[in-house]
Amino acid sequence: MIRYIIKRLLQSIITLFIVLTIVFFLMRLMPEEGYFGENYEKLDEVQRETILTNMGLRNPIHIQLIDFYKGLFQGDLGKSIIYRPGVEIVGILKSKIPYSLKSGLAALMISLIAGIPLGISMALNKDKMWDSIGTGYIVFISAFPSAVYYLFLQLYISDIFKLPVLFNVDDMRSWILPIVSMSLGGIASYAMWMRRYIIDELNKDYVKLARAKGLNKKSIMVHHVLRNAFVPMVQYLPSTILFTISGSIYIESLYSIPGMGGLLVDVIQRQDNTLVQAIVLIYSSIGIFGLFTGDILMVLLDPRIKIQRGGSR
Amino acid sequence: MKEEVVLSVKDLVIKFKLRGKVLTAIREISLDIYKAESLAIVGESGSGKSVFVKSFIGLLDGNGWIDSGKIIYKGQNIADYNNEKDWLKIRGKEIAMVFQEPMTSLNPLKTIGSQVREAVVLHSSLRGKAAKEKTIEILRDVGISKPEKRYNQYPHEFSGGMRQRVVIAIAIACNPKILICDEPTTALDVTIQAQILELLKSLKMKYNLTIVFITHDLGVVANVADRIAVMYAGDIVEIGKSEEVFYNSQHPYTWALLSSLPQFAEKCQSLYSIQGTPPNLFNSVKGDAFASRNKKALKIDYEIRPPYFTISPTHKARTWLLDIRAPKVDPPDSIKALQRNWRGNR
Repeated sequence: MIRYIIKRLLQSIITLFIVLTIVFFLMRLMPEEGYFGENYEKLDEVQRETILTNMGLRNPIHIQLIDFYKGLFQGDLGKSIIYRPGVEIVGILKSKIPYSLKSGLAALMISLIAGIPLGISMALNKDKMWDSIGTGYIVFISAFPSAVYYLFLQLYISDIFKLPVLFNVDDMRSWILPIVSMSLGGIASYAMWMRRYIIDELNKDYVKLARAKGLNKKSIMVHHVLRNAFVPMVQYLPSTILFTISGSIYIESLYSIPGMGGLLVDVIQRQDNTLVQAIVLIYSSIGIFGLFTGDILMVLLDPRIKIQRGGSR
Repeated sequence: MKEEVVLSVKDLVIKFKLRGKVLTAIREISLDIYKAESLAIVGESGSGKSVFVKSFIGLLDGNGWIDSGKIIYKGQNIADYNNEKDWLKIRGKEIAMVFQEPMTSLNPLKTIGSQVREAVVLHSSLRGKAAKEKTIEILRDVGISKPEKRYNQYPHEFSGGMRQRVVIAIAIACNPKILICDEPTTALDVTIQAQILELLKSLKMKYNLTIVFITHDLGVVANVADRIAVMYAGDIVEIGKSEEVFYNSQHPYTWALLSSLPQFAEKCQSLYSIQGTPPNLFNSVKGDAFASRNKKALKIDYEIRPPYFTISPTHKARTWLLDIRAPKVDPPDSIKALQRNWRGNR
């Protein structure tokens, strides 16, 4: 068990290093204009070279890589060049993340609280009216481009309920529409997976045996089916939670929320190389860490994994 | 000696709705199950064996229903039960069932102990430590060594045979009167099969159980059954004491079934197999269901369904061959030899 966790942790760290290195090299392929911002036109060739040399970008590539890692270990992601020239990237992110995190977590909570019971009740009423309504909703959400219903909510629902269409930190009501918009997709996917896993479990032989030994439907659901159906869901939960900090790109720009979502697109368009590098790093670390946590949770919940992995160590 | 009937089935008809059509899976079966006997129901796949016994505990698939007939248990017609609450009085506590898939019949995420214990707690007043002790005792009874240690293990740590023992332990833990074993050894290899059958025999003695075996393996039957019921196309075509059905079989289907046993095959000849396929149960069956596969079928076999003819007080068969007006039709040679020995010995 402990061994498995350590092994899995080492794997994650190695993966992270590989990803970081790939990002590093990719960034070196970007056009160098990105390092000068608006001053590019004003500078002559010699001045540009001086700036690049000062930034260490004319050092041999392996020295650059070592410097890059040195900076990372000290928590230094570098400075923004164009987006907010000269400002520490860590500071920029610190100001952005809370907005995305708050709205993201709220949307995630709503998705879970509505989506999971919806999936359960659909599975229990399989092929009946309620299941069809739920399936209709899931199909609608998955089939329509999300922009369509996002805009619909912003245009019409805001009118009906007199809700603000632009984000304002001090107005709680302005959080409602963006959060609801973000939840719709989550509700649909949680309901879909929950329904599917429960139906999978209900058709298994151990449920037949549980019925034959005289357990009532409720005990079978609570003690056998639900727990087993949650296991595959749990694996992806940490990633989902972590990714709330990255924000929803489209919704944040639609409602002008000053979060992380818009930032990446913005800085890519404006070629702020160091900032792009920092954000990509954060996203990939989150992804790797999320998968790691999910795997660990799986081990805690599913006894079969311990033995299989442990046996081959 | 008159034996006590524990469960009595009368003219049971079970139908299924499949792809918009109605299929009659069980066609008017009547059967008495006696206390503390072991009855084997044999028949090929699709003959309705499983469906028949599943109806005793209300576990028919959702698209199936009891169309008519009665299942009398303890003076009640359980065929009329139509809600979960009624069935919960029967399931486990009165009639327990062992399924044929030991590899998947246990919840992979719960310990063996907790799954057996669940049945103990459900059907007795034992709780806490006492329930655990009882569970360990039952695990020991079904031949699991070191039950204290095994209690906390998970199904994946058990072999197929061991899992089947656990499934049997769960059934025993319910403390039932009747134990239905639906092909309990089909998924196991031969040496394990024998062990499981021995186990069931000893449990039958210890817990005074009535056991109903479902199987298509006549070898299993010979090993354990007091009585045999031969099923074909949703009907019992012949029923009698084991030796009667083995040595003095009367129904052409039973003959065919016995002839296909490897023990009866002549050296250097291919094994006998029954030609044709069972009748389509979506249509109503006219006459004797086996007629179309029976080379020596009589004309009346295609016309009128045969009644039961009594061969002995314990042995009866549904075939027109037993009618006094029937022409003499010889069974296959191997069966004839069996019958000759049997009569000679009496």
